[in-house]
Amino acid sequence: MTPMIDIVFLLIIFFLVSSHLAKQESLLPLPLPSADSGDTPQNSLGTRITVNVTAGGELRLGSNVVGVDELERRLKHETTRAGQDIEVRLRTDRSVSYRHVSPVLAACARTGIWNITFSVFRSTEAPR
Amino acid sequence: MRIPSHFSNRSDGHDSKMTPMIDVVFLLLVFFVWTASFQEIEYVLPAELTPSAGTTSEPVNPAPEQQDFDPVVIIVQMRNGQPSWLVNDAPASSIERVRQTLATVAQLQQEIPVIVDPHEDVPLGHVIDVYDAARLVGCSKVQFAAPEKPS
Repeated sequence: MTPMIDIVFLLIIFFLVSSHLAKQESLLPLPLPSADSGDTPQNSLGTRITVNVTAGGELRLGSNVVGVDELERRLKHETTRAGQDIEVRLRTDRSVSYRHVSPVLAACARTGIWNITFSVFRSTEAPR
Repeated sequence: MRIPSHFSNRSDGHDSKMTPMIDVVFLLLVFFVWTASFQEIEYVLPAELTPSAGTTSEPVNPAPEQQDFDPVVIIVQMRNGQPSWLVNDAPASSIERVRQTLATVAQLQQEIPVIVDPHEDVPLGHVIDVYDAARLVGCSKVQFAAPEKPS
């Protein structure tokens, strides 16, 4: 019995750890802005697109670096595909200039996406 | 002198029972240490958009109730590497001062729209500070100005 239990435990741990790593993969580590009024994110069933803006001003959609035009095309495509309002979550480096963020906001506005959220850290928890 | 066999066997049996438990305990320890999240919890700030004044070609329809009040426009700009703020063209010396002004406005009318209009070179952290200040004092309609055409 004992070797079997060992193996079962190992398998359980392997799958739990690998799923945890898979979850982490989708989150590019960024020093987000800090805010005290941030809400706890809700797990909505609707479509959500996460756009990462790095310190250098690169826009990342998933793991791909995209331009504003490409982003707008993707947003339009996703809006059409979803057939409903979609959410755009902006994860931006806190030091990035607004000039790199405003085109994303403008692209969302042109696409008709108004449900935009900024990812933030709570001020007390924000790493310095 | 030869050690009695029954004593020796009992010792082996005891060891062999402990080993799997130690294995499992170590594995659980490793698992919990690994999964103890070193990642900070992220929160979200819902944002609304408004076309930036003077840069829009076709205005987005504002909600009817927003048309009743003149919005409070907060311009954020950088001067000598430090942020400075203009609340309806009146300079504010610090983010705390901006918060106080907004608190006064919010006491009178919480529904009044607040528009955050940052200059292009302002780091987003300072923009979020203003947005956060407006939300904390209870302003329910806070919007970002975004140029219609990216520069």
